Parts: sequence; C-alpha cells; structure tokens
Amino acid sequence: MAGMLGEALKGHLDLLLLSILANGPAHGYAIIESLRARSEGVFDLPEGTVYPALHRLENQRLLKSNWSEDSGRRKRTYQLTPKGQQALNTRQDEWLKFSRAVNATVGL
Amino acid sequence: MTKQIETYLRALKRQLWLRGVFDPDTFAEVESHLLEAVEAGIRRGLSEEESERQALERFGSVKVVSLAFEKERNSLMQNLLLVFAVLAGLFSAYVDSRPNWDDTGILVGGILLISGLLTLLGHRRPWLIALAVGIWIPVHEIYKSHDLMMLIVLLIPLIGAYGGWLVRLGIQKTFHPA
Repeated sequence: MAGMLGEALKGHLDLLLLSILANGPAHGYAIIESLRARSEGVFDLPEGTVYPALHRLENQRLLKSNWSEDSGRRKRTYQLTPKGQQALNTRQDEWLKFSRAVNATVGL
Repeated sequence: MTKQIETYLRALKRQLWLRGVFDPDTFAEVESHLLEAVEAGIRRGLSEEESERQALERFGSVKVVSLAFEKERNSLMQNLLLVFAVLAGLFSAYVDSRPNWDDTGILVGGILLISGLLTLLGHRRPWLIALAVGIWIPVHEIYKSHDLMMLIVLLIPLIGAYGGWLVRLGIQKTFHPA
C-alpha cells in the first residue's frame, strides 16, 4: 500500500508542491512539513527526494527561490511565479477532471 | 553539527559529485534542512541522538536521495551532452574532409577521447553518444564513395563511449553508499 501511494504521489508531486506554495513563500523543510500535515501523514516521501523536484520546478520557471538568513542559518525560500500560478490552475483543472472520472468509474 | 549528520552529508556530497551534481547551494540546502529537522525533534522532546537518527531516516538514504537528484538533473544534462557530441562529431567530419588533413591518428584519438569523456561525465546511453560523435565521417564518406564498409569507423566512438561508461560504473561501484 505504501509503495503504491509512493508511486502515485510521484506522479502528482508537482501539483502538490505548487499548491502548497500557492499559500505563500516557504522553505523546503516547511513545504515538506506542510505536505505531510495537509495529507494527515499519508504523503510521506523521503524528504530528500522533494528537493530535486523543487529545483526542477525552479528550472522550469514555475518557482523562484531566494536565500535568506534566519537564526544564523541560511535558508532557501521558494515562491510561485506567475507562470507557476498558471501551471497550477491548469493542473488543478486536469486533476479535477481525472479524479471525477476515476470516482465515476469505480462508483464512489 | 554532530558526527551522524556530518557523515551523512559527506557521503551524500560524494555521491552527488559522482552523479554530476556540483551545486554548493544544494549541499547548503540539505544541511539546513537536516539541522532544522534535528532541532524540531529536540523541541518535541527527543534526545539529540534520536532526533538526528529520525531526521536522517525521514530524509532518505544517501542512495535514494542521490538517485533522485540524478534523475531530475539528467534530462537537461543528457541533452546538453548530446548536443555537444553532435557538434564534436560534425567538427571531426569537417576536419576529416579537409584536403590537406592527413593525421588520422589525432582524429581517431580525439573521437575516442570525446566519446569516452561524454559518457564518463554522465550520459547514460553510450551507443547514442557514439552515433552522435561518430556517424558524420562515415556518412560523408558513404555519400562520396557509396562504400558502406565505412560504417566500420563507428567502432572507434563505440569503443570510446563504452570505455567511458565502464569507467564511470567502476567509480560508482567503488564509492557505492552503504
């Protein structure tokens, strides 16, 4: 079950990360904590595998990041770009259609 | 920073280097995450040692994390290496086609070296690199002489590309994370 969830999660990780950052800028640790908290612990990927996905979204200009100093420690904060917001809207629509179709098919 | 985290970061850094990830910001970000996770664990009442253990366990093994970075890096890096291979191959064909060029040894050495270097740097398909570097000279020769035997020249980049690929596999196996 955990394996299946992990695989399913990887396919939708971009949508989840963009959705979390739609609430405002956050650094990696906070994004991962938010992912875990919002899913009530169901989405529990190895935390280190989330960073490559964040970097990829940044390379695609869907996110931008800034370094800042907090309590003597450097932190990289990510935020959604206008292009990222558009991508999020598109992926939310796609997800809605997909989930409705799956629910209708399996009779939920 | 304590020994557990230091050891993990050192091992991760080595694996990321081997997989072609050299970005110092990535290392700083991972370090910052782990230290924050340890602090959060201590605030929840865990001992420092237990908090570090849990932080590292949640972060993922060196192997899992370095593979995830490699996978994300690959698409861009693979394309860049392929473009470079095509450019190097076209250049070698141009040099070979010059009427006053007669130093085949240098050309063969150059093709071997470039093909090997590109797979050593991380391209995962040696046959594709060999084709991208080596196809242009035979294509030009076949166009001129209609002699399909010129395709045997492809052996040179194939040897170079698979040589570099094997060296990279050897390096990765030698420094395989626990």
